[in-house]
Amino acid sequence: MTFTNLQIDTESIPSIDDVVLKPISKAYLKIIALNKLMICTVLISAVFLGKYFIEKNEESLPINFWYVLAAVIVFCIVNLIVSFLAFKKRKYAIRAHDVIYAKGLIVHSIVTVPMSRIQHVEESRSWLARSFGLATLNIYTAGESGSDLSIRGLPYLEATQIKDIISAKVNGND
Amino acid sequence: MEMTDFSKPIRQSSKGIIIIFAFNTVKFFKKFFVILVASGVSILKSKSLGNITPTMLILGVLGILITILVIAILKYLNFKFHLSEDDFHLASGIINRDNTIIPKSKIQNVYIKQNFLQQIINVVSVKIETAGDKKSEIEISALDKPTALLLKEKLFSKNILENEIKEPVNERDVFFSVSPKRLLLEGLSQNHFKSFLLITTFVFGLYSEFESYLKELKLDKQIDDFVNQEESTILNLLITNAIIVINVVLISLLFSVIKTFIINFNLEVVEHQKTVEINKGLFNKVSLSLTPSRIQNLVVTTNRVKQYLGLHSLSVKQAMVDAKQQKNFNIVALEKEQLNYLIDKLLLNYTEDQGELAKPNRYYMRISALEILLFLIIANGLSIAAFGLVMLWINTVFVPLAVLYVYFAYKKAYYRISDDFVTIGSGVIDTTTNILQIHKIQSVKIKQTIFQKPKSIASLVISTASKSVTIPYISKQDAISIYNLLLYKVESQDRDWM
Repeated sequence: MTFTNLQIDTESIPSIDDVVLKPISKAYLKIIALNKLMICTVLISAVFLGKYFIEKNEESLPINFWYVLAAVIVFCIVNLIVSFLAFKKRKYAIRAHDVIYAKGLIVHSIVTVPMSRIQHVEESRSWLARSFGLATLNIYTAGESGSDLSIRGLPYLEATQIKDIISAKVNGND
Repeated sequence: MEMTDFSKPIRQSSKGIIIIFAFNTVKFFKKFFVILVASGVSILKSKSLGNITPTMLILGVLGILITILVIAILKYLNFKFHLSEDDFHLASGIINRDNTIIPKSKIQNVYIKQNFLQQIINVVSVKIETAGDKKSEIEISALDKPTALLLKEKLFSKNILENEIKEPVNERDVFFSVSPKRLLLEGLSQNHFKSFLLITTFVFGLYSEFESYLKELKLDKQIDDFVNQEESTILNLLITNAIIVINVVLISLLFSVIKTFIINFNLEVVEHQKTVEINKGLFNKVSLSLTPSRIQNLVVTTNRVKQYLGLHSLSVKQAMVDAKQQKNFNIVALEKEQLNYLIDKLLLNYTEDQGELAKPNRYYMRISALEILLFLIIANGLSIAAFGLVMLWINTVFVPLAVLYVYFAYKKAYYRISDDFVTIGSGVIDTTTNILQIHKIQSVKIKQTIFQKPKSIASLVISTASKSVTIPYISKQDAISIYNLLLYKVESQDRDWM
């Protein structure tokens, strides 16, 4: 066996800095908004429900109630703003040898999974996603659950295309 | 010895009835423990519950035991297995007959275990693990040892050809076996902070429980007087505290030693040509084999005291092993040379000082300082709330400890990236070294919080099939170049990860 040990020029290695990450579909913003609004409604109604039960029993404590309500509302608004801003950070890219996914505003992360490590791909659509023509792409590796990728909010057509590309690559390697 | 013929369906050893019976009884009583105790107590108190007398209760329990015994016998009778050319067949079930067939090539691990009862009646259990979900594993709970070994060998006979693992059958090259003295040292030199905290909280909890009892018994006044007397001088207070601390330390020492002995009793590392076998355990004897191709991460742990005594632990993380077994792939009390030899055996061409040593950014110190400050504030707040301002003296102990914590956390953190390996060092009291092979990486991730962005600092998370390790707080530029390099290596080499 001829053994070669070429020096790797770190400058010439393909870099993730050069990759143009693609934003996910704008329509997914609506889904985020709907989800967050639902959570807010649930929280606020829980507060009102709590107030109702406490008043029934003890008749007082209205000041506390307003504090709690204010806190919940502030939390909802901040949550909504953060998830809107974070939406812009959700980006992805498919390279010849790997899949890249970036997300997160407060904790920004970029994950890359090499094609050769992908066990299988699946594309799933919730009821809400179907009505907006979106899909989620789940990419599974053999690793800990931490190394699985789930790209939400892709246009349905694109999701199927990516799925086909990856499946072809994964199976071709075998 | 009579060779067992596996080609025809056979039952396990008839002692299996005892094992199944014991196992099911324990399971049954675990499930209904609360109900049984509650009804038992109420019956004993009022001599009857409804119309049930203690005699009837005993009869009832006997009836249940007999039912379990009958089920155990039926289970034993219906549990048959055999081997064909490529598959392992198992028929089981009393009412629902299950027929399980496992292709030999899909078998991932075969364990031989022996719990306390099995040791008494001299049988072993064989556990067959396949890739895939946890339910797909099979346990044959009672075989005599020669049969079990033969079965294990037969199960792997097909795999041997495929994976090119050739094991000399009767050659037992015991590479390392631990002496009781070294186990004792290992137990003594463990990191006692955890058990210390556990016992302290336990004692405090006990004390507050007893407080109400004491009040009830009207003894609290005496105790208070007693305590006041003791606390009259600061010297006395210190002495009482010191005595308490020493006791707690002694208890935690004992605890660690006993735990180490039970888990690692008769630890033995047997070397085969390609694989390494671990045997250990007092009540639960286990026998495991390590296959280099399946190893994902190696974790070496030691600490100052252990280093001095020459004690190193090696924990091997394998792919396709469930979490419960994962704990067992741990070899303790290794000498430095033995450790290096073993690492060399498991990872080809690994040397300790491969690749350039690099350290995290100083930002790491700031973050850990902030963390510990938060902890100090909370601890102070709690102690002031509980004992008043007097407890502020405790900071004279805490603050130096905190400073040491930050200092050591930074001092021990480093990483090396060589041609084939990533080595990451970490730890505060312990010194932990994580080693992974680059071609076994499953994914790479850069993480950066919004506060790290202006300082251009990021962390790198490297995942393999069994563990994720983090290189914390390095400059964004370094992070990206390591990220690119690792991906380049994984993607250009086209080597299998398992």
